[in-house]
Amino acid sequence: MTKRSLSDDDPRLELSRARDLARGVRRSQRATWFPLLVFAALTFVSLPVTFAGHIVRTKCQAVSGGVAGQQICRGYNSAVFIYWPIALVLAYVLIAAFYLQRSQARGVGTRVRSYVVAGIVISLVLTTLSVWADRRPPSLRQYDVLGWHVQSVNLYRFIGPAVAIGLALVVLAAVERSPALLAVTVTYLIIAITPVNFGWTITSHSRWAIAPHDVVPGCVLLLAAAGFALAQRSHDLP
Amino acid sequence: MTDHPANGLDDVVHQRVRLGVLTIAHEARRVEFGYLRTNLDLTAGNLSQHLNVLEKAGLISIEKGYEGKRARTWVSLTPAGHAALRDEIAQLKRLINQIDRNDKRRKREHTS
Repeated sequence: MTKRSLSDDDPRLELSRARDLARGVRRSQRATWFPLLVFAALTFVSLPVTFAGHIVRTKCQAVSGGVAGQQICRGYNSAVFIYWPIALVLAYVLIAAFYLQRSQARGVGTRVRSYVVAGIVISLVLTTLSVWADRRPPSLRQYDVLGWHVQSVNLYRFIGPAVAIGLALVVLAAVERSPALLAVTVTYLIIAITPVNFGWTITSHSRWAIAPHDVVPGCVLLLAAAGFALAQRSHDLP
Repeated sequence: MTDHPANGLDDVVHQRVRLGVLTIAHEARRVEFGYLRTNLDLTAGNLSQHLNVLEKAGLISIEKGYEGKRARTWVSLTPAGHAALRDEIAQLKRLINQIDRNDKRRKREHTS
């Protein structure tokens, strides 16, 4: 090893230069707006899909202590049940293809594979849980899930498509080391699961009653996509 | 002075351009020649020389191919390259700590 003369600033400068280069690569790799836009589109499309389907009622049973003839059933929308698993898997294939094409064009590879794999796995696991939940006897009160007592209405929110999208976005935030995306994802999950409708309610007799549950989280994703796209554009401009 | 952190620095890695190549390749799964040239502000010939040094040291692998009619050269870090970069960063941090300690000692001696 040869002798070298190092001024006191050298290691600091070199470390700082290396960090700047690493930050530059991460900025070039990010395309956060695209997955957000795809999931916003899927969320909006789910609305007409819901209208196209019909409610399938299963496992109907008499309500104990209720009015004679009163029944409680498990129900699900036939079209939505098929739409989300297929749409989510296709979305991840599209996102993977987009990142791959972008990486070829920019000349810098990405580590998006873990996000795509996580997204597909989470979607399939939550679909399996939905099938499991639909095979359980209907209940007005609560389920026992691994020793936890979960209200039936909450169970469906926690295994719904919004959670599949949100959990995968948490993985993307880690892959892209993006605190901004993490903040957006947490906001999205709170709005989708709670659910927050900002006072927008539609009478339960209308077929549009479900619209706020889809449109509000969809708008959050769309606004976030626009924000990230603008930030990316300002970075790309010379 | 054999235990001085500067003696632990690897000559192949401890060079501005080569450290830059390793840093960029570490962040990306693989990186194209043109991206390196633009981001490190080098001529093609200069970059090629540094890539040869790193390839001979077994720190990077170079893959050449075509996309349509356009020739492309992709660079990726080998496991030895990842380890070398990790060691270099650790040595630089150690060196900075040593400089800070020396500065504090000099200040204490100066005031007393």
